[in-house]
Amino acid sequence: MKKIVIIFIVAALVLVTTGLWFFTSRSGFKLVDLVMYGVIIVVVGFALFVGYKRLTSVRKGEPAEDELSKKVLKRTAAFSYYISLYLWLAVMYVADKTDYETHVYISAGILGMAVIYAICWLVINFRGVRNE
Amino acid sequence: MNNRIKEYRARHDLTQDDLAKKVNVRRETIVFLEKNKYNPSLKLAHDIASTFGVTIEEIFIF
Repeated sequence: MKKIVIIFIVAALVLVTTGLWFFTSRSGFKLVDLVMYGVIIVVVGFALFVGYKRLTSVRKGEPAEDELSKKVLKRTAAFSYYISLYLWLAVMYVADKTDYETHVYISAGILGMAVIYAICWLVINFRGVRNE
Repeated sequence: MNNRIKEYRARHDLTQDDLAKKVNVRRETIVFLEKNKYNPSLKLAHDIASTFGVTIEEIFIF
């Protein structure tokens, strides 16, 4: 239960900070800002989804995480890391061909990693984990 | 690896929720086991077999 509360507190803090950033920003939004918002929304959205799943499990009297969910997370981490290597190669290629500022590429890479992690989690969670 | 969890669950008149609580896992794990989408750890296999009062070999078919 402690972990779930921490997930929700951190997500709320990030959302409040992002909201403050959004409403106090005087200059117009550039591409990099939008990419940053994208990163934050994907990461916070995933954290809230995981927190909600754990909370519903606890409410039903089940453990928040068990051997299957731990294995899914481990496999997701390994698989998304492997794919992310190719993503960064692609980012390097695009950076060579275009002329944005460096932090745009880094933000795009981080957003890509977050999206890859979420997709891998969905696929592995749907397909299951067989140790064969 | 196949298993006969669904069959034994029906025999003992247990829902997926009931079995999940007895072996201390989430219902999702039982769903995945029944669909043969997950191979359990030795401990979970033992816990499931103990719940039904049979040996692991009777539930899990290698």
